Amino acid sequence: MAKRLGFLVDIERCFGCHTCELACKNEYQLDPDIRWRKVYQIREDAYAMPERIFMSLTCNHCDQPECLRVCPVVAYTKRNDGIVLHNQDRCIGCGMCIMACPYKVPQYNQKQKRVEKCHMCAHKQDQGQKPACVTGCPAEALSVIDLETFTVLGTTEKLPGYPDPKITKPTTRFIQPSIGVQIRRDR
Amino acid sequence: MDKKLTCSRRSFIKGTAATTIALGTAGSLFSINQSSFKTALAQEIQENKIFQNACPRNCYDTCSILSTVKDGILTKVDGNPDNTYTRGRLCVKGYSYTRSVYSPDRIKYPMKQKGRGSGNWERISWDEAYSEIAETILRIKKEYGSTLPICLNKYSGNFSIMQYGIEGMLASIGDHSIATGTPCWPAGIDAQTFDFGTIYNNDPEDIVNSKYLILWGVNPAWCAVHSMYFIQEAKRRGCKVVAIDPILTQTASKADVFLQIKPSTDGALALGMAKYIFDNQLYDAQWLARNARGYEEFFGYIKNNITLEWAADKTGLPKETIETLAREYATTKPANIWIGYGMQRHTNGGQNVRAIDALAAITGNIGKSGGGAQYAHLETWGFNYHAMVQEKPQDNRAHGNRAINMNNFGAEVLAADNPPIKMLWIACRNPVSQDPETSVIKKAFAAMDLVVTAELFMNPTVEMSDIVLPVTTTFENPGVNVSYWHYWMTLNQQAVKPLYEAKNDITIAMELSKKLNEMQPGSCTFPTAGDLYEWAGKEFNANIYSQFGINDWKELEKGPVKAKRGLIAWQDGRFRTPSGKYELWSEEAQKFGHHPLPVYVEEVKPSGKYPIRCLTPHWKLNIHSQFQNLDWMDNIDNTPRLEIHPKLAAQYGIAHNDNVKVYNEIGYFILPARITETVPVETVAAYTAWYKNRNYNVNYTVKAIPADMGKKATGMPGIAFHDNFVNIEKI
Repeated sequence: MAKRLGFLVDIERCFGCHTCELACKNEYQLDPDIRWRKVYQIREDAYAMPERIFMSLTCNHCDQPECLRVCPVVAYTKRNDGIVLHNQDRCIGCGMCIMACPYKVPQYNQKQKRVEKCHMCAHKQDQGQKPACVTGCPAEALSVIDLETFTVLGTTEKLPGYPDPKITKPTTRFIQPSIGVQIRRDR
Repeated sequence: MDKKLTCSRRSFIKGTAATTIALGTAGSLFSINQSSFKTALAQEIQENKIFQNACPRNCYDTCSILSTVKDGILTKVDGNPDNTYTRGRLCVKGYSYTRSVYSPDRIKYPMKQKGRGSGNWERISWDEAYSEIAETILRIKKEYGSTLPICLNKYSGNFSIMQYGIEGMLASIGDHSIATGTPCWPAGIDAQTFDFGTIYNNDPEDIVNSKYLILWGVNPAWCAVHSMYFIQEAKRRGCKVVAIDPILTQTASKADVFLQIKPSTDGALALGMAKYIFDNQLYDAQWLARNARGYEEFFGYIKNNITLEWAADKTGLPKETIETLAREYATTKPANIWIGYGMQRHTNGGQNVRAIDALAAITGNIGKSGGGAQYAHLETWGFNYHAMVQEKPQDNRAHGNRAINMNNFGAEVLAADNPPIKMLWIACRNPVSQDPETSVIKKAFAAMDLVVTAELFMNPTVEMSDIVLPVTTTFENPGVNVSYWHYWMTLNQQAVKPLYEAKNDITIAMELSKKLNEMQPGSCTFPTAGDLYEWAGKEFNANIYSQFGINDWKELEKGPVKAKRGLIAWQDGRFRTPSGKYELWSEEAQKFGHHPLPVYVEEVKPSGKYPIRCLTPHWKLNIHSQFQNLDWMDNIDNTPRLEIHPKLAAQYGIAHNDNVKVYNEIGYFILPARITETVPVETVAAYTAWYKNRNYNVNYTVKAIPADMGKKATGMPGIAFHDNFVNIEKI
């Protein structure tokens, strides 16, 4: 039975430590300027009180991946479980996918003159293991969900600053942060 | 080497991914893929060796690491799941370790600089380095009649017990000068020493049992990430989390309630709370009668001297907020307070910690699971310190080491007389970047005959040295690591051979000892040979074995172990104070010039010329001057910034990204602004860090002002790093 694997990012638990990003980089010993996963700070004024809120993002393994649609050499494929893979051997480094992806996911490797991106640790998942970012997160803010069976109640597919999900139908889901009480002297 | 490693691992991963795709386009996916992956993984596992390592940085978490080594190369690091505190996870810094081990910036061989700060380095052999160092040591000894002009400044870069070889080596040449004290946490240590008899915290894994948790001036989301899991878990079980801080820290941002207190007024808040607790009889009279000394005097003090209006005025928090906080804290059991190191870096920091401790005492929250006043502990540090303890040579003529205040190092080195200080040995430390009064530190370096620094990277201290000795990373030598926060002990195995010509501190000590004895027999008592692994074993004793429930240290090769007892601080009610009780009234404090009670000591206020307080706390991508210089960190963030409130920025006409000069009477630094409401209006923040290729150092403006406490337990008072006042200017 086909799956629709996606990342669930618990923004309430995430504290923006960037550990997921480097757990990924450590696992694959990525080049210094390549970021398969990236932690973005959400604008401080996006919520009721100034807060330090982050979204940890990588490939959204979209239902309608634009990268796959625009790639002239069919370097992209989508597995039955929903994981979008990029085959570097086919890639010609044209950068079409970089322009097409609303999430700036494909990364251009200057040395290899080709693109690379997150494969959701497909080989690990095939072994019943979790992706490196998921197992590395000290907050346990990341998990892999199957949208075919996952109850989406209480989650959202939108966050301030996150591009409109209508374009590519990403499989990433978020748990919203709760905003605490703040006793401040400036307001 | 680095390149080879990157290629081999990455081509493996890409090769397998490519296979998947080829099969994927054909149709049926999973079964075929799995078998191909299995073969590849099995092959990889066979070729890999896994080693136990421990992160030795000066950090709460002291992570247990599993290192993967292939063909003698460290290919990745993982958290060891056996450690139930770090739970199989590292942090952003820990996962960067391959980048420091194989950094192209590592110091690869001994070098000598012609002209300090000139950058005119030339490679020398270890023998040449030892010869020059040994000649200087012996010349100084002859000229001054002792080795007192030689000063060691070593501290916290590495907490593996094996690194104490450097102290041992200096002890072996005779009495010398030694940087004494500790910059980061001494005021709080003394405060807890007066109250409890020593520092001693509950197992942090016990935080899950708290029903009320105050995170007081502590930012674990950046500085102890693994504790955040336990805090979040406590929250899930119904614990209310309150963060008290001048800054809306990352931790405060995750709390149920954030109280933006005025800096350095924490004692006023604690005493205001105590007043409310006393007035409403919410204290634990039974606990006090059984366990405490001086509570009548303490209640007398707050009754006569403290009002909630005063506390509200001091702290900037509404009276009602203080009342609510006090009521909730006193009536929710068990209630826990975690006291950070930041809040005690003030001229009244120790007194403030004593006032907070008092809250835990009067509410009877001490000695209980889920309760406590957590600061730190050294309960698991009862090693033999074999490497450190050495006999003096027979011709040693001085009468003990000379203590040089680590917290005013530059000035004290310059002032040392009869004999003066002529040689510095720096290890596990970067004073030019991390000490206050950078300009004075540089002057002190300039006055030396010889500065030797043992280091990994060409940092600002190395730049001001004459000889640099390349040292090993934690993966290149054995050791044993414990934490000052959790209760785990991890063996650190040598996972890879030392890179380039790097050597560890004990090998350096042994080889220098050999050279000294060649030049002048009997001049150094440090052993000249030995097996490092056996040296690790010599650190153990029966007490450590019984505490950790092991019979032999080699059992640690199987994985980290946790202390078997003493996980709830003061559960036995036997305090280590002179009276054996919790001392609200401390004569020991009085002996060191403080009021015997935790009274309020006025905070320092800004002067007219320098009206802005500049806080310089830790940054999330580094610890002190480590990690932020690595390429992976640089890729996440390569620009230090001045955090400034929009109202203050408007006053000075500063917009986001504008360059701002931060200055006072002793120096300045310049950096772009980040406009943010996470800082209070009258306070700016810049993070302490060493960035590669950036002339950025907050300590040019930080004065070596002593904190109120620290002398009793650490020999010297701490530094009031956060009583730093500046002015700012758009440039």
